[in-house]
Amino acid sequence: MTARGDRILGLGLFVLAVAYGWAAQQWPEPFGGTETVGPETFPTLLAIVLALSSVYLIVKPDPDAQWPMGRTAAEILLSIAILVAYAFLLEPLGFVIATTLAVGTLCWRMGARLRSAFVIGLIGAVVVFVLFNYGLELSLPGGLLEFE
Amino acid sequence: METVQFLMDGFAVALTPTNLMFALFGAFIGTLIGALPGLGPANGVAILIPLAFTLGLPPETAMILLTSVYAGAMYGGRISSILLNIPGDEPAMMTCLDGYPMAQKGKAAEALAMSAIASFAGSLVGTIGLILLAPALAKFALTFGPAEYFALFMLAFATLGGITGKNPMKTVVAATLGLMISTVGIDIATGTQRYTFGVLELFEGIDFILAIVGLFAISELLFFIEQRAGAGRKLIKVGKLMLRPKEILQAVPTMFRGGILGFIAGVLPGAGASLGSFISYTLEKQYLGKRSQFGEGDPRGVAAPEAGNNGASSGALVPMLTLGVPGSGTTAVLLAMLISLNITPGPLMFTQNADIVWGVIAALLIGNVILLLLNIPLVGFFVKLLSVPPMYLLPIVTMVAFVGIYSISHSTFDLYFMIAFGIAGFILRKLEIPMVPIILGLLLGPEMEKNLGHALVISDGDWSILWASPLALGLWIVAGLGLILPYIIGPLLRRRMNAAMKEDPVSD
Repeated sequence: MTARGDRILGLGLFVLAVAYGWAAQQWPEPFGGTETVGPETFPTLLAIVLALSSVYLIVKPDPDAQWPMGRTAAEILLSIAILVAYAFLLEPLGFVIATTLAVGTLCWRMGARLRSAFVIGLIGAVVVFVLFNYGLELSLPGGLLEFE
Repeated sequence: METVQFLMDGFAVALTPTNLMFALFGAFIGTLIGALPGLGPANGVAILIPLAFTLGLPPETAMILLTSVYAGAMYGGRISSILLNIPGDEPAMMTCLDGYPMAQKGKAAEALAMSAIASFAGSLVGTIGLILLAPALAKFALTFGPAEYFALFMLAFATLGGITGKNPMKTVVAATLGLMISTVGIDIATGTQRYTFGVLELFEGIDFILAIVGLFAISELLFFIEQRAGAGRKLIKVGKLMLRPKEILQAVPTMFRGGILGFIAGVLPGAGASLGSFISYTLEKQYLGKRSQFGEGDPRGVAAPEAGNNGASSGALVPMLTLGVPGSGTTAVLLAMLISLNITPGPLMFTQNADIVWGVIAALLIGNVILLLLNIPLVGFFVKLLSVPPMYLLPIVTMVAFVGIYSISHSTFDLYFMIAFGIAGFILRKLEIPMVPIILGLLLGPEMEKNLGHALVISDGDWSILWASPLALGLWIVAGLGLILPYIIGPLLRRRMNAAMKEDPVSD
């Protein structure tokens, strides 16, 4: 059994700890001179704890988890891309269209049939839109479907 | 008895039509969430938080809604244990042992009803314990100074990895990461910008609601895609309910013993519902000995763990309400809600926000009655829900999370942040870094830093003040034990639970 995951994580966290701790030392001295506790005290403490525990992870790592490979990894990356695209398109396209596309594609990639996936997406989008905009009076973006 | 007076006032708060309606809604939604495979109480409460915000609910109503969701999810969790032999979360494992065999014998309806009654009894015992214990603990906590509080926070972190947590060092890493995130933003004491990189959105710090929803809900979606579980499950048919009063009466002592044990397990930091359901099942099995057929579908084998885990869920509210230190993942999420409502949880809450505390406690009692009334007639409906394929459900849940976050600030920036937390959550969960200490670090970070500052100012920079008083020292020692014990008890408990699962000849 390898333990690469924990080692890489430990290394990454160590770098983070050093950068985080170093940044804390760069802040200008607060107005009125140094007190016993400055803005850097707590972060410095945290940087030390994280550095020590990340060294522990490098020295004594746990056995590796199964990482998704090949197709599964691609599916996960794809769904992250869908989520990002959803956030990006929410305002320009409007809630109903963006949600139908996002939920539909996600359902489809999870194994639903193409048509039922998008039908579910559309129904979900419309129900939530009506509920939020008219029931709860929280405005969701209308986007392309907006009319005065 | 002033407690009785407070409780009466609490009922007055909880019984207003609006609050009652939200309790009913929360109990219903909670049961739905609990019944769905893959969604536990913590996810459920996390998804509903943004909604509670955007609705602009008053604090007591928001808390009543969320505690009802919490209680409901604990009820709902048992449905998939009994019908599918798939525990929704760890505490539900023990319910599989006798619940599934009962269902196989055609007594699914009886098992579900028994578990509903036992959940009710367990919660009732737990809530009574909460009413008796919480005010006393709050009074005691008033004597805490900044150093004691700092030590208490350490205790919370040390034990939150939980007895079932695997590697204590990973709990330390998680808590530190959470605390580090909490330092982003403008320092309240000095006005120094910390880790903002000049980005305007970061000046006020990172909203923990984003972190919670990302870490819990979005990472769950990614996990599901990886596993693609849940296809082609066979549901057991639920027949007509034929529960004889004799069977219920026979299980009553079991329920009360289970509720008490569960409550104790819930109050203990880090132990929580898993331990609650485990010890109440095993002790009951030993106590009853040959007078029972545990593991072969004994109704009392359903009653014991269910009473235990619901007792524990009320018990976990004790440290959360009195000390501001949550005893479980779900209570950590509830704590986030309180802090966002500008209520500082802790001993002062009992005097300053008495209406909220007692309103929530009263709502818990009312919620349990609602759940009992809701669960027996509607059980068929909840069962039907289990047959909805998760491939439709999870995208919709994700969408609800998006909408909730978006409605708070109407900013897409927050959505990107939430997605980033989701990805980080997926990777960290893969590496077995626990999520709850991250959240807790984010929540408690500012308070912790403030208390550290106060303590050091009092002592004029002498760090030994942090463990100078016997109370603080005691808290540090317990915190140390909390980190070491999982090494010893964790593997043992997990082995026992797994062994118990395997012993059971019917389950596969």
